[in-house]
Amino acid sequence: MEQRDLVTRALAGDPGAERELYDAHVDRVYRLAYRMVGDSELAADYTQDTFIRTFERLATFRGESALSTWITAIAISVVYNGQRKVRRLRTREVELEHAEPVAATIRRADPDLKARLNQAIGELPEGYRTVFLMHDVEGFTHEQIGSALGIQEGTSKAQLSRARAKLRTELAAFAGDVAS
Amino acid sequence: MMDEREDRFDEMLRDAARDYNAPPATPKAEMWERIQAVRRSGGQGDSVLPFRPTVRLSARPTVRLAMAIAAILLLGVAIGRFTVPDSTSNSATPAVGPIAGVAPETRERPNVATQVATSNHLSQVETFLTEFGTSPTTPDFSDQAKDLLGTTRMLLDSKRVVDARTRTLLEDLELILAQIATLNPKDRREDLSFIADGLAQNQLRTRLRNAIPAGPAIRL
Repeated sequence: MEQRDLVTRALAGDPGAERELYDAHVDRVYRLAYRMVGDSELAADYTQDTFIRTFERLATFRGESALSTWITAIAISVVYNGQRKVRRLRTREVELEHAEPVAATIRRADPDLKARLNQAIGELPEGYRTVFLMHDVEGFTHEQIGSALGIQEGTSKAQLSRARAKLRTELAAFAGDVAS
Repeated sequence: MMDEREDRFDEMLRDAARDYNAPPATPKAEMWERIQAVRRSGGQGDSVLPFRPTVRLSARPTVRLAMAIAAILLLGVAIGRFTVPDSTSNSATPAVGPIAGVAPETRERPNVATQVATSNHLSQVETFLTEFGTSPTTPDFSDQAKDLLGTTRMLLDSKRVVDARTRTLLEDLELILAQIATLNPKDRREDLSFIADGLAQNQLRTRLRNAIPAGPAIRL
């Protein structure tokens, strides 16, 4: 109800309501965008675009899903489309300069496992990676992921399972540490 | 026992993954200012993605039929090209077997079956997207999209499809087909807008058209 009121006020041109809406959801959008791209400027660009689109399309929000899910769906669409452009540009750069891999990975102190895991997550297919990051890292439910990505809940579960299986395979060398 | 080990390993992965691209503090104020600036300028600011007008095809049934026929003809040409030996590459080498003392050519021969399957699939997707563009509210598009999505994912999972351009095209198609497959039957307007944006921004139809007649240029 509060959510609907906020939307109604924003649609009526209340700038305070737009700011409230932004404040309520911006952290979630930025965190997800950053997890997906690993670059603060890109994450900020995608977050801005997400909210510009959100405000432009607010009149089409019918309240069938939670506002947060609706905004997340917009965010993912923006990130996917933006990343495709980035990948194309970086592919050209790589051809010219043999630059770093496209997937941004942060090498942290705790060495082998995390470094290898970062690399393995970065190499997951886009769909698997998105579901893995949303569920296992950002704590979205399969229902929320399904609504945001436009897929069935079961598909989200299957993609997560495949993502984990791929990571298990990639990190098989570390499995012994767990068993012991 | 095995399940328990997998669970423990998954738990360890989840813990370790929390550091993956760990987000810094959200630059709320800066982003808000830029959002306001872009909106004040009527969306002509420095946003990453220019918002494009929705693209709708308006082809009539006869045009759709002609496009379907053209796609079939192109498929025929592609199959012909794949199955006829490449005469140009043999001009400087004997037709059969390597010559003693001459290193055999190490270039891998592309898998004809995979090429034909990929080309066939791309043709079907192009026809489908053309039909979808003309009447996106037809209910059975969802089932067709699911079928094509399955084949797209099968090709993406295939190790024989190695050409980066083809894989990128298939990945883009996967997303569009997934969106069509899960269209909300109650309110499609917004979903259709996303799909149209995706098609336009990625120039999917153009890339499909380029990929299909290219024949042997699709290296797998």
